[in-house]
Amino acid sequence: MPFETLPIEPVILSAEQAEVMAQRQLKKHHVAIILLHWFNATVWLLELATGGALISSVFYRFAPGWYLEMLTSMFGSRANLLRFHIVLGVVWTTVFFVYGIFGHRTYLKMEILQREVGLDADDWRWLRVRLLRILGKSREHLPPQGIYNAGQKLFAVMIYIMIPVIMLTGMTMAFHWFGPAAIRWAIVVHFAAVGMVVSGLMVHVYMGAVFPEEKPAFFSMITGTVNELFAYRHHFKWWREVKMQEKQWEQAWEREQSGEPAAPSPPAELTAPPSPPQPSALMRALRARDYWPPYIAGAGLGLTLLATFFVMGQGLGASGGFTRYLVAILSLFAPGYTAASAYWSNYYQPGHSPLLDFLVFEIIGAAIGGLVSGWLSGRLKFTVDKGPRISRRTRYLLATGGGVLTGFGARLARGCTSGLALSGGAVLSAGAFVFMLAVFAAGFMGAYFMRRYWL
Amino acid sequence: MARYAMVIDLQKCVGCQACTVACNSEWEVPVGYARTHVHYAGPAGVIPHLVAGPYVAQCNHCSHPTCVRACPTGATYQTDQGSVVVNRDLCIGCGFCVEACPYGARFLDPVRNKVDKCDFCAARVEKGLQPACVITCTAHAKFFGDLEDASSSVSQMVYEKGARRNETPAVHIGPNVYYLGRKANVDLALASFAPRPPRLAAPGRFWRDAVKPLVLAAIGATFLGQAIAFFNQLVKGEGQFDD
Repeated sequence: MPFETLPIEPVILSAEQAEVMAQRQLKKHHVAIILLHWFNATVWLLELATGGALISSVFYRFAPGWYLEMLTSMFGSRANLLRFHIVLGVVWTTVFFVYGIFGHRTYLKMEILQREVGLDADDWRWLRVRLLRILGKSREHLPPQGIYNAGQKLFAVMIYIMIPVIMLTGMTMAFHWFGPAAIRWAIVVHFAAVGMVVSGLMVHVYMGAVFPEEKPAFFSMITGTVNELFAYRHHFKWWREVKMQEKQWEQAWEREQSGEPAAPSPPAELTAPPSPPQPSALMRALRARDYWPPYIAGAGLGLTLLATFFVMGQGLGASGGFTRYLVAILSLFAPGYTAASAYWSNYYQPGHSPLLDFLVFEIIGAAIGGLVSGWLSGRLKFTVDKGPRISRRTRYLLATGGGVLTGFGARLARGCTSGLALSGGAVLSAGAFVFMLAVFAAGFMGAYFMRRYWL
Repeated sequence: MARYAMVIDLQKCVGCQACTVACNSEWEVPVGYARTHVHYAGPAGVIPHLVAGPYVAQCNHCSHPTCVRACPTGATYQTDQGSVVVNRDLCIGCGFCVEACPYGARFLDPVRNKVDKCDFCAARVEKGLQPACVITCTAHAKFFGDLEDASSSVSQMVYEKGARRNETPAVHIGPNVYYLGRKANVDLALASFAPRPPRLAAPGRFWRDAVKPLVLAAIGATFLGQAIAFFNQLVKGEGQFDD
């Protein structure tokens, strides 16, 4: 403890005191705020880049012509540029609303706002001195500051006012709210509000990323903590609040230890021993020993298929991938034959690897995913799944025979359960439904004859 | 390059509105709105020297369009063939162009919430068809073609028969719809439906003359301030702040 009694005003620190304080970290930002900050920063960057390119009239535009052309060709068309701008804006608005709805008790309470954005007399004095010091016209000490300094507060006030304005005017333009006259004014107000924020944003970015004195503040937006020395020097009033709180907790703890009948008992969460960290619900589900219900697996598979179509432009498949592995092996030994064969040449042109295909990597990924899933659930071991009455050898023979039939049939049908039934079914291919009916019909019949091997 | 133009022979026009109907059904224009209208000018003069007749109004596809400059997003633009068209995907329905057009050729489509106007039937012309109003015209009074092609009917009518544009000394932005007919009739029609001066709506003026300069000035001043601060920082060096 570097201080016996907390100073009312910042005092000169001894070297040891400074050393101790530089080592201690104080928590400044909740992780939710850090995430929101960087999400917001990314959105602003992208929205400014696209928004600047959207204003094309010679009357209003400020970005040079080459910039407009560059962004237009990057997005394919100006309509895509506009769509991107609108979709991102809606996502941004939604995220802020979700934060507002779930976190209004934490972020939007009057006393919190007062503390974080309300400017007091010290703050106004700070602004004047800060400006003079930056210009090199003054050596006066800066007045003590709360958790945010006056510059940050001023910027926050502007943000708090401008963000709703930008959201409302943006939605007005995007969804034609309130009629044409409102849209006309919305464009102008949108532009003006963004312009004001940008001029503040430049200072914000400069202070955070370039200005040497504020470097710990920048890193606090990544780690969530600042060292105590920085807090003492730059946010003295906040530092004092934190210290007072710590003192109270310490006294309460000491009273507890000495068995004194504590006069006012401190809040329970401060004295209760920390409980061991509970794994999150997601982690518990992942580590469950039982198999998940098939309905969840089915929905998951459907979503995976959707994602595959979205990302790769094609569906899932298995037999096609295996065919490519075969072609790769075959072309190692008999490239001439492979290229000449009517069937194999579908997958092989000399000079192009048959393995450069999504399905090839998808199969590797499926194997890795299965391994991870088994490992997470503690199911990983070498075993042969078989019925109780048959030997391992029978199982191997049957599996190989079944595999050969399945492989042959799948290529004959131009797809397996994944490629034809799933992916084909997803695009409503008639062949997929015929295949699926045939698979189930044959499966029911076959299962009857093969039941003794499993029961 | 080409220069699409239309010639309307007011002497042949019988004012039947077939062009309006054809256009509305071809482009699904909402009821109560139209991309092309037939108006009636007159009667004027003294009995027995009365003048009266129809006048067909539509987008003039001006060579120097005022609507293109007023459009903030670039939804309204001039094609290589000189026609002025609207990209609905980009239009946000602000109506700056409606105010800017001296001919009243534009309207805000209340169904799509976007601006709409004649586009010289761009989709039909691309397929090699004539505009819907031209093939429908019962009196064969409308002609469409390339003004730069000397053999086209429009260029002959414009350069040899003296078809005239609807222009005034105050508003001459190069309209590409031309009118033929008896001089007295054309005089009356053009005088009755003369273009009004183009307007930039109040928010547009405010944006162009006040907001844009102020925003640029604010950003410039901030930049300058930071440049000074950064220069000071470089001069002083970082050693001083070691906390």
